[in-house]
Amino acid sequence: MIPINGWLAPKYLTWLLQGFGMTLGLSALVIVAGTLGGCLLALARTSRIAPLRRAGALYVLVFRNSPLIVQLLFWYFGVATLLPEHAMTWLNTPHVIDLGIFRLHWPSFEFVAGWIGLTCYSITFIGEEFRSGLSGVPAGQHNAAAALGLTPLAAFFHVILPQAVRISTPPLFGQYMNIVKNSSLTMAIGLAELSYSSRQVDTETFKTFQAFGVATVLYILTIAMLEVVLVVVQRSGARTAVRR
Amino acid sequence: MNDAFSAILANVPYLLVGSFPDGPLGGAALTLVMAAISAVLSAVLGLAGGIGLAMTRGVLHTILLAVIGFFRAIPVLMLIFWTFFLLPVLLHINVPGLATVVAALALIGGAYLSHSVFAGIVAVGDGQAQAGLSLGLTRWQSMRYVLLPQAIRIMAPSFINQWVSLVKDTSLAYIVGVPELAFLANQVNSRLMIYPVQVFLFVGLLYLILCTSLDALATRLLLGREAVAEPRAIVTPLPVPIQHRK
Repeated sequence: MIPINGWLAPKYLTWLLQGFGMTLGLSALVIVAGTLGGCLLALARTSRIAPLRRAGALYVLVFRNSPLIVQLLFWYFGVATLLPEHAMTWLNTPHVIDLGIFRLHWPSFEFVAGWIGLTCYSITFIGEEFRSGLSGVPAGQHNAAAALGLTPLAAFFHVILPQAVRISTPPLFGQYMNIVKNSSLTMAIGLAELSYSSRQVDTETFKTFQAFGVATVLYILTIAMLEVVLVVVQRSGARTAVRR
Repeated sequence: MNDAFSAILANVPYLLVGSFPDGPLGGAALTLVMAAISAVLSAVLGLAGGIGLAMTRGVLHTILLAVIGFFRAIPVLMLIFWTFFLLPVLLHINVPGLATVVAALALIGGAYLSHSVFAGIVAVGDGQAQAGLSLGLTRWQSMRYVLLPQAIRIMAPSFINQWVSLVKDTSLAYIVGVPELAFLANQVNSRLMIYPVQVFLFVGLLYLILCTSLDALATRLLLGREAVAEPRAIVTPLPVPIQHRK
């Protein structure tokens, strides 16, 4: 029924693993930048300054209601024409920074475009999770902190934020999983991540089932790992809460 | 800038309907058709999956959870590859790219909606189910006549979110060469060559209009006028007990 003809040669497995590494690296960088940006967005959306709130709302409206693929194409094709010529040639030539024991290679333009595109897209979702976490802290907590004589800033950092983080942790990890899955779209701009390399192995070997199978298993493993991390984070959070 | 404007203006009909009267439907119209078909299919699958989760116990429940979990854990793109490759092998016919994308979107959308439907049914509460049973209804009847009608209102926001994100997800058909909006955008971009920023901004705007108007329309239809009077911001989905994707 389904043609299964032998296993993949080591060479092709290496391709897939390299793609997997690219997926993991890109996702990790997007998670870091997206979390920071999401914090800023949530702060802007809950700020007392109306123009800041409106700017945040507009950002969410624009980036949430257009498809990621169009955004990636925009960053890849569009921004390349906006940047000055010498910036583009700098981005397209390889750069290496020597850091003693290991070398840091400046990534390809596909990677940078994919990273920026995915980050800008994910910020809206992460920001909204943080915002619902902030608004999930009961109003009484604000009043209690004020009654204890805490300044607004101290109240935010010591009373509101810890509870908001606790509320938004599970949906936040849901968003991290989405980042891993959405990173597959960067193959549209030619980044050699896991989906791209599975497609490449498929066209080279015609072992479609094996190529897609390996990629699928690797994606599921990554999602499962994130699920495990979430459980660990929640458990340790609960323990410190009890100790206090 | 003026040149860019007129160049894009000349391509607007192509972006909206493709080569339609003379050729196959494409562009934004095809995007809407694909989104509509996969919306209906994913709603059916989601209802079936959610009711299945609520009615099953033990091993069957675990199997159902695993199947749904599988579809939630893999990227849509990966599932499109699978359907693109497996459907022709399984059905022994040549399946067009469009059908494989719709099948993939329906399966993933259905998996997400299953959890929303299940959560909706749970939220209605055990008391209602028991009240139905004590009135002499069978389990199925109390599901159909007591639980589901109440759960629908709780589930509606997640259905709307899912449908709006379907419009965006149809852009993945770009990868398998279906001539929908994102694909044509790229085509127009490579034909004009010098206006990538303007082309993709314009197409982004088209999607924005499609998504926000669909959201408003669906909210009005499903939740009625009181929901419109008290607007549900597009950007803040009502809290759904299950983590929502995208």
